[in-house]
Amino acid sequence: MSTSTAELYVPDHIVHNTKTITFIRSSMSVIAGSAAGILGLTGYTGFIFYGVVSLFTSFIIWAMKTKGQPGKYFKGKTDVWIDGVFGSLFSYVLFWTLLYGTVHVYD
Amino acid sequence: MSQPALAESQALYLDPVFVMVLVGILRHQITLLLSGSPKKPTCKAIRETKALQRGVILRTYGNNVPPSAFSSRKTILTQAYERGVYLKNPGQANTPVNPMTDPQGMEMMMEGMKKNMAMIIPQTIIMGWINFFFSGFVLIKLPFPLTVRFKTMLQRGVETPDMDVTWVSSLSWYFLNLFGLRPVYTLLLGEDNSADGMRDMAAMSTMGMTQTGQPQDFNKLFQTEKENLQLTPHEWELDEIENRLLVKYGKRVESIKEVKKEESIKVKKEEGSEKEKESGLEGRGKRRKGQKRD
Repeated sequence: MSTSTAELYVPDHIVHNTKTITFIRSSMSVIAGSAAGILGLTGYTGFIFYGVVSLFTSFIIWAMKTKGQPGKYFKGKTDVWIDGVFGSLFSYVLFWTLLYGTVHVYD
Repeated sequence: MSQPALAESQALYLDPVFVMVLVGILRHQITLLLSGSPKKPTCKAIRETKALQRGVILRTYGNNVPPSAFSSRKTILTQAYERGVYLKNPGQANTPVNPMTDPQGMEMMMEGMKKNMAMIIPQTIIMGWINFFFSGFVLIKLPFPLTVRFKTMLQRGVETPDMDVTWVSSLSWYFLNLFGLRPVYTLLLGEDNSADGMRDMAAMSTMGMTQTGQPQDFNKLFQTEKENLQLTPHEWELDEIENRLLVKYGKRVESIKEVKKEESIKVKKEEGSEKEKESGLEGRGKRRKGQKRD
């Protein structure tokens, strides 16, 4: 009756799941950054590209990792979509700049 | 917009990246070496923490046991907390531990110092190195435009007034590396690596020095836990289970359940008010003791 659903989660598993998501997101941000740099995206297009890629990544996580039921694996249902998106923006910018410099500036 | 003169060696911007990745790996290994194997806590120290955890568990999952079991556990735990049965050394419960004389506290402080050194020294050296060798020319072009305000920050030491802001100097490139290399470390060294300086810094600023330097005062923690436990209400999960089951399987409509609930709440309230009348005469401290007895 008064037991909230939050107590039904095992904290260790939640931590493990969050780690998995962080790993996926950081790898994806590195790959997306490299792709954006090689494609030679500049300005807003680069950031829009990041948004599209992270949305796509979230969808893949949602569909394949949680099998469409994020509530089973995470406390918040929006964790799958939001968690770590802004944290990995820096690494995206880093690899974007790096590959852009390598391919298009110094060619 | 004039095209700035690029440095002679064209791949100069790669050097900081390589160096920072390698230094990160070195940092990770050094931290592993310095910390060694974690020290085993004594039996009594474990008992102390576990006793505290028992109270928390009782508070969280108490509704799963019948009222009699809950109240007996509550009584035993509160008494134990009050008397300090589970303390490491019950005799000196009230004397604050001096971290300078306590050998364990000293060791913890040393640990914190070591970690700090391993964090600060490489960071300073890299920054000095970059400032010394890479100053005075732009290093790389950002793929996105920034406003002119950033010019003084990103092109420090390069005094060309009409150069595009997207060209940035080595120091900005260094900071971009500092913030962005975490996933690289994660891929190279695994999840729980200590290569990333930024995370340590964030942890330091939130924790402060008290956490690393001073051991916790368990007597105080026990007293708080005792108060929390006394304030915890108990509502058994199996109360009115038959009604809930019947409602769940559609044998009874919801409204009856609600009526029942209201009745039970009314009864409870009346009981509560009577109790308050009884205990209202006594002082606050006496009331607490009376609760403990039953």
